[in-house]
Amino acid sequence: MIKNILCGIDGIGLYGVISICIFFGFFAGMLLWASALKKNYLNRMAELPLDSGELPKPANPEIKR
Amino acid sequence: MNTNVETFKYDNRIVRAFGIVTVLWGIVGMLAGLLAAVQLYLPEANLNLQFITFGRIRPLHTNAVIFAFIGNGMFMGIYYSLQRLCKARMFSDFLSWFNFWGWQLIIVAAAVTLPLGLTTSKEYAELEWPIDIAIAVVWVAFSVNLFGTIAKRREKHMYVAIWFYIATAVTIAVLHITNSMEMPAGWFKSYSMYAGVQDALVQWWYGHNAVAFFLTTPYLGLMYYFLPKAAGRPIFSYRLSIIHFWALVFLYIWAGPHHLLYSALPDWAQSLGMVFSLMLIAPSWGGMLNGLLTLRGAWDKVRQDPMLKFMVVAITAYGMSTLEGPVLSIKTVNSLSHYTDWTIAHVHTGALGWNGFLTFSMLYWLWPRLYNTKLWSTKLANYHFWIALLGMMFYIIPIYVAGITEGLMWKQFNKDGFLQYPNFLETIVHVVPMFKLRAIGGTLYLVGTFMMAWNLYKTAKAGVFEPDTEAQAAPMEKATVATGKTAFHRMLEGKPLFFTVLAAVAVLIGGLVELIPMFLIKENVPTITSVKPYTPLEVLGRDLYIREGCLGCHSQMIRPFRSETERYGEYSKAGEFVYDHPFLWGSERKGPDLAREGGKYPDAWHYNHMDDPRSTSPGSIMPRYSWLLTQKLDSASIPARLGALRKVGVPYPAGFENGPAQKDLQAQAARIVANLKAGSVKAEPDREIIALIAYLQRLGTDIKSAPVAATVK
Repeated sequence: MIKNILCGIDGIGLYGVISICIFFGFFAGMLLWASALKKNYLNRMAELPLDSGELPKPANPEIKR
Repeated sequence: MNTNVETFKYDNRIVRAFGIVTVLWGIVGMLAGLLAAVQLYLPEANLNLQFITFGRIRPLHTNAVIFAFIGNGMFMGIYYSLQRLCKARMFSDFLSWFNFWGWQLIIVAAAVTLPLGLTTSKEYAELEWPIDIAIAVVWVAFSVNLFGTIAKRREKHMYVAIWFYIATAVTIAVLHITNSMEMPAGWFKSYSMYAGVQDALVQWWYGHNAVAFFLTTPYLGLMYYFLPKAAGRPIFSYRLSIIHFWALVFLYIWAGPHHLLYSALPDWAQSLGMVFSLMLIAPSWGGMLNGLLTLRGAWDKVRQDPMLKFMVVAITAYGMSTLEGPVLSIKTVNSLSHYTDWTIAHVHTGALGWNGFLTFSMLYWLWPRLYNTKLWSTKLANYHFWIALLGMMFYIIPIYVAGITEGLMWKQFNKDGFLQYPNFLETIVHVVPMFKLRAIGGTLYLVGTFMMAWNLYKTAKAGVFEPDTEAQAAPMEKATVATGKTAFHRMLEGKPLFFTVLAAVAVLIGGLVELIPMFLIKENVPTITSVKPYTPLEVLGRDLYIREGCLGCHSQMIRPFRSETERYGEYSKAGEFVYDHPFLWGSERKGPDLAREGGKYPDAWHYNHMDDPRSTSPGSIMPRYSWLLTQKLDSASIPARLGALRKVGVPYPAGFENGPAQKDLQAQAARIVANLKAGSVKAEPDREIIALIAYLQRLGTDIKSAPVAATVK
């Protein structure tokens, strides 16, 4: 059906090529970039939730912030 | 190194406020769900009150759970974690409270209007247009507060949780506005701008992504924050979390059409939805494994800490439902599962397991910290965990059995080639025991929530609330020069606006590819000449069908399977719905499909059936709609309704609504009254039942009156 609908558009064959390029490009780029990130940076980022900057409170030592 | 350390305060009041309403609305939403569940085997549980009948209480349940329980839980978690991840107080306390009170007012408005039958009928977007505008305003306030806080942060790096929050804020705004395009016909009535197939595609593009960007992405952000906090260790792989984020936001938006497989939606869009749904397994499971592996070497903590127990089940439920979702999107599986209770079981794995358990987990973690004390009873929290888990199992397993049984019975042929169960009622009566078990499961889950409410209350009583928490951090260093391979990402994080634009592009690309061809290429919806606009009386009847939430149980979409065409008639065509503002295909069958209902039964049958379904169909689980027999028809609103419909494209002649429409309405009503009289039923022509009969008798008759093949342009 899609062939019948879209075949009237000039250069329709190119759409599929562009689509696969965008797709492949997006994932390849993302994976390459993610794999190139440095260990120090990743460790620093992963630690962020554990440091909330809150001042220590002596009132109730059982509560870990 | 910046030595200029600043002292500031985190706002805990807003976190507590959202926490309290999360619990309260959670109980309300679950009670509404229980009431709906009981009515499925005991229709009289509506006490013959229209306001609490299944069709109206079901949207109240879904809205309360999604937007009130989970929505408030999401705000609670975001307001707590965002401040700490940015090392900054919220951008504006005024906006925080505007967000809080605005959201609660919207919820109250929903709790009032939905039982009154004021609904657009679009699933998870049922609220009428004035409330839609309020939602947009409150969402903008939340987004400004979110981006304002990010802008004034002291921590240069944006942790992955914040990315998920940004994606949520941007995408929900786009989804809500696009799907809520509607033409008002008075203060409490509107018609969707889109019709039929296009409306269906927009609705499920929204519906699917509301699940994605309201129930999933913000909660993933919360998982990435609260799990490391509770486990006392960083996330297993930050690299994986980056891949999880980008892959998820890129792929999710494409998958919406999997809600419309084998419907009248063009096949290319269906296939696109299925393929992208399957691809979604990869990022979803990446996220799940990242969560579970964070607990490597810390499983002893899970034994002791109920908060972590809830978290582990939540992440596991996320994994289960994100595996099941793609499986259900495979066309072959979907042909069995669609319209059955299987879908209900699937969404409850997500809602009860993933969202519910993660919310409980956050509440148990936050409350002792907000009140600077210990949890009042760890034992009670453990009981809550087990009773909620048991409740979930009791809910989900019977409903899986019910769903698969329904699907198989609907498709079963006997050896002579006829339907084994030609009467739909047989199939639904068969699974009623499962509905009863489901209600037990829901009750257990609700009992657990009450236990948590008590535990949190006692914790609050035992401690002292800390309205602000003092913190210290150095202000963000400016103009650091990043080098090496991480430079791009650092640059990205340093510019939240640029990051947001990239995330928005990744999210929107799928939506645009699906929606634009559907609207621009006429051949996607072939017109059928014999399909005409509804008459004025039928319009009123259709609006009553919407008001009563009939589509909660009855579909109007016959799929192209022999088991369906044998049972219901000719399969549905895209061109049949060109005047349907909104589309009413439904997503669930607790009763038969009504797409070809017109002319199947005499008018008197419908009258008696609405008065008491069990008088015509013994054993039926449909509630009585006796109020339709006595309530007067609102024919004065015809000009407003037809005028609005013309504005969205229904070709009523100019001036039709101002005089001819009333005459047309009266003439059609008089014909129905005469038919009823012939069936020994005495009825007034100005009652609601007359309009509903007119609509039901119209359904599917357009193409019955002329051969389809000959009339397709």
